[in-house]
Amino acid sequence: MKRALLSALLLAVTMVAQAGPPPVAIGDARIRWLPGELPMAGYFSITSHASTPLRLVGAASPAFADVMLHRSLHEGGVARMVHVDDVALAPGQTVVFEPGGYHLMLMHRKEALQPGEEVPVTLRFGDGETLEVPFRVEGAQSK
Amino acid sequence: MTRARAAVDRAAGVCFGALLLMGLLAGCGRSAPPWGLRDITGLMPPLDFSLTEASDGATVHGKDFRGYVVLLYFGYTHCPDVCPTTLSRLSRAVAALGPQAEQVRILFVSVDPARDTLAQLKTYGAAFGPQVVGLRGSQDAIKALTKRYRVSYGYGKPDAHGDYEVSHSSAVYVFDREGDVRLLADATAESPVITGDLRRLLAE
Repeated sequence: MKRALLSALLLAVTMVAQAGPPPVAIGDARIRWLPGELPMAGYFSITSHASTPLRLVGAASPAFADVMLHRSLHEGGVARMVHVDDVALAPGQTVVFEPGGYHLMLMHRKEALQPGEEVPVTLRFGDGETLEVPFRVEGAQSK
Repeated sequence: MTRARAAVDRAAGVCFGALLLMGLLAGCGRSAPPWGLRDITGLMPPLDFSLTEASDGATVHGKDFRGYVVLLYFGYTHCPDVCPTTLSRLSRAVAALGPQAEQVRILFVSVDPARDTLAQLKTYGAAFGPQVVGLRGSQDAIKALTKRYRVSYGYGKPDAHGDYEVSHSSAVYVFDREGDVRLLADATAESPVITGDLRRLLAE
């Protein structure tokens, strides 16, 4: 039993190790800084150069305890946020995470951050593939 | 009626139509050009409230802002996307006014007083510029104010950390120096459009 568990674990580790970065291009990766402990939003564009459909399923960062895929919705003049399980990317498709739409919600920062700094964020895809992207921290009044 | 007479009548009709059109155009020329934002003059009551100002803890009323052009927006500080995006757009619009920015105030009323302490609102407002005034009130005070301006808000279910989301109107109301409601900016209003309208209100 122990051995089976160990080999399963080894297999999992090997799979993670084998999963290279997917063929995607990231643009304009940035975080809008907010003071104190407030959650912040991360924005970027992602273009798939893969030949098969991709799914962005999550994100993580050593600078935050929690990073979630979110989307803001405007319905009847009311804004609200919803959690997004995944974002589909067809071959050649670009999806833009931008103010008022898809965004990363970066919660519970582990250390103080200031505009001008850079924070690594790891994007996670459906097949277990990951990609580390540097996000620059911009001022609250940035676009 | 002869054919010639009919032609004269038609010509007269065309001339009359042209004159009427010119008159209408001249009339339009005399009236003010349309606003970039939505004109809601007279559709909402004048600016009035009693809330606590985050910067110094003082009680402030709507009438304290007479003489300023006021942008009124409802939100909450734990809002990472929509509120900062709106506040950043508004503060950039106000900053573009140059020295006249001093005659404008952006009132950010928290609809989440349970989490938004005065200190929190103060640092949050300051991050968006000197014209932003954070305002906090009891649930009763906020309910009264949101009812007055037909603004809705609601709270989502708390997660394991006790974090919750707040849905809220994306509307920004613009009041003139007299405290009368004039314009409505929705979530799509761009900074240059807002700046143009603010400049006109300031010139009144």
